Amino acid sequence: MTFSSTRRWVLAAAALAIGGIATAAAEAADAVSIRLKWVPQAQFAGVYVAKAKGFYSAAGLDAKINPGGPNINVETLVAAGADTFGVASGTEGTLYAREKGLPLVCIGMSQQMTPFAFVTYDNSGVKSVKDFKGKKVAVWFTGPQYTLYSMLAHEGVSQKDVEIIAEPFSMQPFIDKQYDVATVTLYNELNTLKEQGINNIRLFLPDDSGVTTQQDSLVTSEKMIHEKPQEVQAFLDATLKGWKYAFQHKAEAVDIVMAAGSGLNRKHQELMLDEIEKLMTAKLGGSQGLGAIDMKSIADVQATLLKFKALKTPVDLNAAFDASFWKKVPDADKKL
Amino acid sequence: MTSSADAVQRAPPRAAPAYPGAHLQLVNVWKRFDGAPALRNVDLSIAPGEFVTLIGPSGCGKSTLFNIIAGLAAPDEDGSILLSGRVQQNYGLLGKVAFMPQRDLLFPWRSVIDNATLPLEVEGAPRKLARQKAQALFPEFGLEGFERHYPHQLSGGMRQRVALMRTFLFERDLLLLDEPFGALDALTRSMMQRWLLDVWARHRRTVLFITHDIDEAIFLGDRVVVMTARPGTIKREERIDLPRPRAASLATSPEFVEIKRRLLAVIEEESLKAFAGTAAP
Amino acid sequence: MTAESATLRMMRSPLPGLVALALLWGLAAPAMKVNPRYLPPLGLVLADARSVWPDLLAGLWRTGEETLLGFLFAGVIGVGCGVGFAYARFLERGVFPLFVVLQNVPVIAFGAIVVIWFGNGLAAKAVIAFYLALFPIAVNTLRGLQEADPERAALLRSFGASPAQIFFKLKLPSALPSLMVGLKVGVSLALAGAIVGEWFGDTVGLGVMLLQALYVEEIARVWALILVCGGLGAALYGALALAERRLVWWRRA
Ligand SMILES: Nc1ncnc2c1ncn2[C@@H]1O[C@H](COP(=O)(O)OP(=O)(O)OP(=O)(O)O)[C@@H](O)[C@H]1O
Ligand SMILES: [Mg+2]
Repeated sequence: MTFSSTRRWVLAAAALAIGGIATAAAEAADAVSIRLKWVPQAQFAGVYVAKAKGFYSAAGLDAKINPGGPNINVETLVAAGADTFGVASGTEGTLYAREKGLPLVCIGMSQQMTPFAFVTYDNSGVKSVKDFKGKKVAVWFTGPQYTLYSMLAHEGVSQKDVEIIAEPFSMQPFIDKQYDVATVTLYNELNTLKEQGINNIRLFLPDDSGVTTQQDSLVTSEKMIHEKPQEVQAFLDATLKGWKYAFQHKAEAVDIVMAAGSGLNRKHQELMLDEIEKLMTAKLGGSQGLGAIDMKSIADVQATLLKFKALKTPVDLNAAFDASFWKKVPDADKKL
Repeated sequence: MTSSADAVQRAPPRAAPAYPGAHLQLVNVWKRFDGAPALRNVDLSIAPGEFVTLIGPSGCGKSTLFNIIAGLAAPDEDGSILLSGRVQQNYGLLGKVAFMPQRDLLFPWRSVIDNATLPLEVEGAPRKLARQKAQALFPEFGLEGFERHYPHQLSGGMRQRVALMRTFLFERDLLLLDEPFGALDALTRSMMQRWLLDVWARHRRTVLFITHDIDEAIFLGDRVVVMTARPGTIKREERIDLPRPRAASLATSPEFVEIKRRLLAVIEEESLKAFAGTAAP
Repeated sequence: MTAESATLRMMRSPLPGLVALALLWGLAAPAMKVNPRYLPPLGLVLADARSVWPDLLAGLWRTGEETLLGFLFAGVIGVGCGVGFAYARFLERGVFPLFVVLQNVPVIAFGAIVVIWFGNGLAAKAVIAFYLALFPIAVNTLRGLQEADPERAALLRSFGASPAQIFFKLKLPSALPSLMVGLKVGVSLALAGAIVGEWFGDTVGLGVMLLQALYVEEIARVWALILVCGGLGAALYGALALAERRLVWWRRA
C-alpha cells in the first residue's frame, strides 16, 4: 500500500496549488491521525481529553483528530491507511468491513451495551417487546434493524407480526405520534425527547432481551498492527486513559469538547457524556475495564447477521477482533 | 433551377486577359455550394477610382461575390482574382479590402467612436491616434456629438453611417459596400446617396456597391452591372455618363429615365426567373 | 435621479421582499400558531443566533473561504476549459463527454477519495466546491463563445484580425452574458459544495454547525443557519449580479 505516500504527495501539490493555504501533513515520525465517525461531541470526549491533556504526546504520538460526518466511512479510511486509527461504527461495521476483505482490525470497544433503544408512550399499550405485535415500529435501516430483528427473535415475536417502517433522522414523527415505537440512541435522541419535555415514555433496551451489540469500535489497520504494534498500544492506552479522566472530571471534559467543536450546546454535551458513561461502564466495562471486547456478543451478532443474510459468509472473528492490545493496557488506565 | 443546361456547363479555364490598369479584376469566378453553383463565370473589371453599382435579384449571389472579394470565402478553382494586377491566393485578400457587410454589425458594447476605430485597433494603431483620426471624420459623417453614444442609442441611418465610417477608416483603396442603404426610408436614403457621392468625390476610392434599387444604381454609379438570377453571372454592363456632381433632380431627367427603362427590362426578366426559381419546389 | 426612478429602483431591489418575509414570519406565524418545531418564531431564531455569534462568524468565515477558493479555481479553470472546448474540436469530442459523466457522479460517491487525497482541511472542501462549480462555468463559457456572431467575426477577419484579436475583441465580450450566468450558478453550487464538503468531517464551518444542529434537532439553530447560509449565498450571488450589471450593461439596453 502506498496510499499514505500518495496522499502526502497530493497534499503537497494541493498546498502549492492553493498558495500554501493547505498545510502538508507533518513529517514527524509518530504522526498519527484518529478518524471519528461524527463531528466533535461528547461521544468522543475520551479522545479529545487524551489529546488536550497530553496523553497522546506523552505516549509518543503526535495525534491529529479528524472529525467525521454522514458522508464518512471510518472503516474504509482506516483500512486504506488514510487515517491511522478510528472510532468506527461498531460490531456490525467491523464484520462488514472484514467480509469485504478490508484489512481492518478492532482493538477495543467503547460502548459495552447496545446504545440503541426502543421508545413508546406510556399510554400506547405497549408494555413489553412482545406487545410490538401488531404495532407500528420505526427503525433506522442503517444497522439497528438487525438489533430489532434479533430482539424480536429472542422474545419469540415473529417479524411478520410487526409493522416495521423506516424511521427518518428526526424524532418529529414520533412526537407527532405517527407510529407507536421509535428507535433512539440513549446518548442523543432520548435526550432530544427529554428536552422537548416528553417524559411519559417507556424504554426497551435490547440488552434486557439478551441482545448486545457493542458500538464505537476502536480500529486500526492490519499493517499498523504488524509494523508498529507499539504505536497501536500507545494509542489504546492513551485513549482509555482519556476516557477514565473524562469520567472523573466531567466538567473539564465537556469544556474540552466544547472548545474542539463549534456552536455546541453545553447542556446537550453534559447529558451526552452522562449517557456515554453509562454505556461505557456497563457490563464488561465495569467488571474488566473500559474498552473491553465482548467476544461472545460479537459471535451472537455475527450469527444474527448471517441468519438475516446481512452477512453472506462468516468472518474470522479472531482476526477481526484483536484483544491482545487491550489486555496489555494497564489497569490504572482502564479501570475506574 | 440547377437542372438548367448552363448551370451544369462549366466554362473552360482560360488565361486572364490583361486589363492593364484595372484595380480589381475577376476572371471566370465560380462558387458552388454542395455542387450547386451560386456564381458562374463571373468576369468583371473595375478601374481605379471607379464607382460601380451591382444590381441583381435577391439570392443571385451578390453577397457571395463580396465575401470572395473580401477574402472571406474561397472561390472555386476555375477562376482567378487580381488586385492591382496581382493574382490573389485564397483568403489572401483578408485585410486588403474595406468591406461593409449588409448588416451594420456594430459592437453593442463599444461606443460609437470605438466602433469606428475597430479596424485601426486591429491594425495595431495606438488608441489615441486612432481616436484622433476617427474624430476628424465625425462632422463629415454627420455624427458630431455622438462619439460617446452607444449603438442602441442611434437611429438606423446613423448606425449605417457609423458602419460606413468604420469602413472608411480601414484605409484601403477598394471599398465593398453591400446594400448600405437598404434598410433606410426613401428620404434618408436619397440624402445619404448624395452625401456618399460627396465623400467619395473627396476621398476618391474605388467603390463596388450592391443595391436592389435601380434608381440608386444609376444615380451613384459610373457603371451599372446587372447580374442574372442564381446561379449569378454578369448579364449586362451599362456605362452611366451622366455628369457629376449629380443633383436629386437628375432622377427625373430624360437621359436618366431612358437608362432606367432599358435596365428595367433586363432586371425584370431576371427577377421573374429568380421568383419562379424560388417558387418551384 | 428623479424620485420616480428611486422608487422604481426600490421596487427592483430585494429589500422590500425580505422585509415582507420577515414581517410574515415575525407576525403572521405566531398569530397563526404555527408549531415552533416546524417554524420557530423569528425572535427565537435571532436570539439563538446571537447566543452563538462568535461560532457563527467563524463558521461563516470558514465556509466563505472554502466557497470562494473553490469558486475562484473553478472560474479560472472552467473558463479555460470552455475556451479549450470552443477552440479545439478534439477536446470537445474527447474530454467533454468525460466532463458530463463526472458531473453526474454524486459528490458523496467520491467523498472518501477526496478525503484520502486532500485530507480534512480547507483544501478538501474547496475541491468539492470547485468540482460542483466547474461544470456550469465551463459549459456556459463554451455556449457563450459559440454565441458570438459569425458575421462580426468575418468582419474582423476582413480587417485582417488574428484569432487572438477576434477572441478578445468579439468572442469574449459576446460570451460574457452567458459566462456570468455560469458564474452565478457556479457560486451557488460552490457554496453547496463547501457545506456538503464539511459533512466529510470538520470542526468549524456552517455545514458542521448545521450537521450538529440537525443531529440534536435544535430547530431554532437550524433556522439560524439557514438564514446565515442564505445570506452568504445571496451576498456572493449579489456581488456577481453587480459585476454582471457593470460588465454586460449593453445586454439590458
Ligand atoms: N454558406 C452557404 N452555404 C450554402 N448556400 C449558400 C451559402 N451562402 C449563400 N448561399 C446561397 O447562395 C445564394 C446566393 O446568396 P447571396 O447571399 O450571395 O445572395 P444575394 O444576392 O446577396 O441576395 P440578397 O440580395 O437577398 O442579399 C443563395 O441561394 C444562398 O442561399
Ligand atoms: Mg446579399
